[in-house]
Amino acid sequence: MNTKKRENLAAYLFLAPALLLLGTFLVIPALMAIYYAFTDYYLLTPDQRQFIGLQNFIEIFKDPIFIQSLKNIVLFVVFVIPIQVGAALGLALLINKPRKGNIFFKVAYFSPVVLSLVVISVLWLYLLNPSEGLINSLLTNIGLEAQPFLSSPKQAMLTIVFVSAWQGAGYQMLIFLAGLQNIPASVYEAGKIDGVNKWQNFIHITLPLLKPTSVLIMITTLISAFKLIIQPMVMTQGGPMNSTITPVYYIYQSGFSDRMIGYASAMTVIFGVIIGIITLVQSRLTKEDEM
Amino acid sequence: MNKKLKKSIEYFFLILLACIFIFPMLWMIVSSMKPEAEIYLDMGGIQSLLPSLDVSQWFLTYKELFSRFNVPQYVINSIIYALVITVGSIMVNAMAGFAFAKFEFRGKKLLFGVLLVLLIVPVETIIITQFTVAHTLGILNTRLAVVLPMMGNMFFIYLFRNFFRAVPHEIIESVKLDGANNWTVFWKVVLPMSKPAVATVGTLSFIASWNDYLWPLMVLTDTDKFPLQVAITNINTTEPVYTNQVMAILTISTIPLILVYIFAQKYILQGLGGSGTGIK
Repeated sequence: MNTKKRENLAAYLFLAPALLLLGTFLVIPALMAIYYAFTDYYLLTPDQRQFIGLQNFIEIFKDPIFIQSLKNIVLFVVFVIPIQVGAALGLALLINKPRKGNIFFKVAYFSPVVLSLVVISVLWLYLLNPSEGLINSLLTNIGLEAQPFLSSPKQAMLTIVFVSAWQGAGYQMLIFLAGLQNIPASVYEAGKIDGVNKWQNFIHITLPLLKPTSVLIMITTLISAFKLIIQPMVMTQGGPMNSTITPVYYIYQSGFSDRMIGYASAMTVIFGVIIGIITLVQSRLTKEDEM
Repeated sequence: MNKKLKKSIEYFFLILLACIFIFPMLWMIVSSMKPEAEIYLDMGGIQSLLPSLDVSQWFLTYKELFSRFNVPQYVINSIIYALVITVGSIMVNAMAGFAFAKFEFRGKKLLFGVLLVLLIVPVETIIITQFTVAHTLGILNTRLAVVLPMMGNMFFIYLFRNFFRAVPHEIIESVKLDGANNWTVFWKVVLPMSKPAVATVGTLSFIASWNDYLWPLMVLTDTDKFPLQVAITNINTTEPVYTNQVMAILTISTIPLILVYIFAQKYILQGLGGSGTGIK
């Protein structure tokens, strides 16, 4: 065997486990989803699977629950991004200033990050209980009206927005903090000589220099926000009145609970394409930023 | 005077914010340390953020919980899944990263391109066909089904590749001249020289697998194979549901993560480029 062949063989031996696992649990499922999307595959009767062309896709866009899930996820994304990223930036600016006890504040703001999504969902379910939860007790104690939160179609998704932002902000705060600490002090000193005030400092120096960090954070948050499932699954089961059902959750319900693999696969394709496009746009944006 | 006032306002604000972030976790822990009735006594008062005043009550909830559910089994399951996935993920992805970093082989560019494309496949949306694959392989309701899909990860391969490329060729060549084969080079030279990459991948996989919920929920039916995350929702829906017992299982499932975040904090931030769970 010549050295070239040997090198090929060695390389593929090192690659084998990863290729096998990624092939089995990522590539094949992705290709299968594309194929099944054009069939009426029902898990319990695999033999009667038939090719039905675009019928699934036509039905999906007439499916009120799917349309509702798209509306819900857009609502979630539109609120959670500014709230979570804004909170993260605000917290980072607050603790970027040297002061006594800063470590305590940093740990405190970060602490929800260590809770898993299942834990925060169950925990807030109890805290937000309309009749005997801690939050409503606090609200009535200070003279405000008790709120229905998760049991109201109007408030449920916004409540999930709040809980998600509360959990995730601390992590992004640390990333912003790293970004802030990368800004050289000399930049601010130059500003000082020119006599700029604090607000101008923030708008004209801090914010532009934080732009790469902000873009990265916003886009990663955007992509994972689109895939929301665990919080509504645990907290509301998509209700009340489908007000918190999300596309990934609906895919799960149709494919796993109702066993309509074909229909779920078609939704996977549609939603996968949407997320894929966003991700591609992201890599373009971040690349431009680096240049 | 003005400065002092400003400082006090600032601290008041910082402490208020800290309360908003801390009180739910505090309530979770203290509620697991008191009898059920005490939780709903004076809800919203200062009592609701204190454990039972009777110290002998503190761990009674845990005792009751352990008598109803096989909690040690869930803890062991979670530890097994997380450790196997962590070690497996380090091995599998480091080996692939090594191939991309240090070998010239046929199809390298194409394969690497395919991997980069795979980075944009949103894994959460293909759970249904992942499930049919597991069904076809006949591994449903086995521990294997929980761990296998979590190991291969394009982002980790990419991370290892970039790290391994920094290992100087001269070192590898000189080790090879001494008669070492590729595996020895990988295992004894390249991997030990890349401890930060190993630690980063290890930390991130441990956290991700510990927190994984949807996939084990789908593939497992036997409760004695449940990891903690699935056990939580199981306990939270098994009548009769006691708030203090639910808070106890939430607390138990969180303790290992607190330790990981304390001891591996400097590796956590590296994960931003990867697909985080939830909306981190």
